[in-house]
Amino acid sequence: MKWLALISLIILAILPFFAPQSVVYLLGLTFIFVVYVVSWDLIAGYAGQINLGHTVFIGIGAYTTALLQNPERLGIAIPHLPIFVTIILGGLMAVAFGFAIGAICLRLKGYYLALVTAILPLICIQLLNVYSDVFGGYEGFSIGFENSLASSLMAEYYISLIFMLICIVAIVYVVRSPLGIKLKAIREDEELAEAVGVDVVKYKLIAFCLSAFFAGLAGAVMVHYRITVGPDLFDIPLMLMIILAAVIGGLGTIYGPIVGAFLIYLAKNYVFVWIVQKLSLNVSDEIFLYILLIIIILKSPEGIFEKVRRMFS
Amino acid sequence: MLEVLIYGIIIGSIWALVSSGFSLVFGVARILNFAHGIFFVLGAYFAILLYPYLGFFSIIPAVLLVGAFGWIVYRFLISPIKQYEVMVILITLALALLVKEILLAIFKDISQSYPSLVSGLVTVAGVPVPTNRLMILGIAIVVIICLDLFIRRTKVGKFIMATSQDMEASMLVGIDVEWVYSVTMMISAILASLAGILYAQIYAVNPATAFRVLIYAFAIVILGGLGSVRGSIIASFIIGFIQVAISMFYEPRWAEIAALATIIFILIVRPKGLFGVE
Repeated sequence: MKWLALISLIILAILPFFAPQSVVYLLGLTFIFVVYVVSWDLIAGYAGQINLGHTVFIGIGAYTTALLQNPERLGIAIPHLPIFVTIILGGLMAVAFGFAIGAICLRLKGYYLALVTAILPLICIQLLNVYSDVFGGYEGFSIGFENSLASSLMAEYYISLIFMLICIVAIVYVVRSPLGIKLKAIREDEELAEAVGVDVVKYKLIAFCLSAFFAGLAGAVMVHYRITVGPDLFDIPLMLMIILAAVIGGLGTIYGPIVGAFLIYLAKNYVFVWIVQKLSLNVSDEIFLYILLIIIILKSPEGIFEKVRRMFS
Repeated sequence: MLEVLIYGIIIGSIWALVSSGFSLVFGVARILNFAHGIFFVLGAYFAILLYPYLGFFSIIPAVLLVGAFGWIVYRFLISPIKQYEVMVILITLALALLVKEILLAIFKDISQSYPSLVSGLVTVAGVPVPTNRLMILGIAIVVIICLDLFIRRTKVGKFIMATSQDMEASMLVGIDVEWVYSVTMMISAILASLAGILYAQIYAVNPATAFRVLIYAFAIVILGGLGSVRGSIIASFIIGFIQVAISMFYEPRWAEIAALATIIFILIVRPKGLFGVE
């Protein structure tokens, strides 16, 4: 396992020197997608809270940094801040929002979080369109080439790779800390965890805010990587992709979802698009994501990772 | 003000059909069906497709087709994974998106309406109301009363009640619980599809309507209390009034945002909803 991770890391590190530009660009996007998935796994897989609006945090992080770099859209004068600062501010904005939603929904047991978070992306997209002169509506807007992560694609690739590694290390650290153990206890049996003295609401909220922070950061980094911001960062298809990647890898395993994220993101951008073109179908390639998710859930509702592990032991 | 009341009751009666089915499935089988909006949209599209051949009789096969679809969804998608609650949510969400994409591929992103059953205007307490809307209100109320009678008076209804109260005890006395769940899902799909057809007569449907309907359905069931059918019906009218008031005095596109605000408000003030059961 460790050797496998090390070898793939070395491959990723030297890849830009001989891979075509398009592959390098796509891999850079994939790294950021991995952070989406891993941060979702923290709240859904570890704490067992079904957050269907993870893309809201991604979108808030993304729009925060995009608007701070283009303050004329807001109509207020803000001194120009370095990208690095606005990315962090994007993460913090997502935390603030996550805290508000979490404080309302997480104190309630049951399905409230899923119900509320499921409709949040829809409402957010609606708001983007209502204030389209600020947010750019359906199209989104370009943040300008001068605001890209780095001047060359290769540098962008490495920044994205390092960003992913830092986030993974941070999340693995959280998961292995006493906090992670408490979260697992909450997931397994909320009432029992409460009975043995875990402040359930507090820890759920901490996990929710942490998850929002990493998602917000990733959303912000994504904007500077691809230089455009748009409602697709909020939208449900992205949410389903995150879920699919985590479910394929196995919820609550961190490493599984990382593998799942690579598989799904690359499959969507190469295999699914190829199938649609080959069959000259008149549909969006997202259809295959949904079919795949349905099949995978039916075949192994406990997660593929769990199934594989059981096969070996 | 009177206008808001009358038009609010009409749209509220459509929401009542949608949310009572959603609540019923949750109350009986503990299934959160994110594909509920799909039943709504499919009902409208089937009726519109069959209209050139059958006229207004197209409503009947459309509703039955969606009912059968509801049965199939339960049997083949939900039943095998029912003990994994998270997966039920994810699979119904995936199904909803899948059907939406298929509808988009077939019908494109164009809004379509179903022809009005009757034409003309009636004046109710000084407010002119299209006769068709009153007809819709009448149909919705009759169907809801029938649903209530069905659940309380018939044998199948009593099976449904028994299962929702105690699943294991119902099994012990020989009720086929799986069958009851399938029937409940079918009823829920029928109610939603009928609501979709009625809605398509006043407004128009497009594939994305499936998710807009979910926003209202969630707002209603949270306001009325998760799992309480009667609570949902009353909450439907409240949401209907809010929606109409905002559309009339402000802008229609704010109506969904107001629905979310209602949810947040209820969750802060009274999380169990107006008529919630533990």
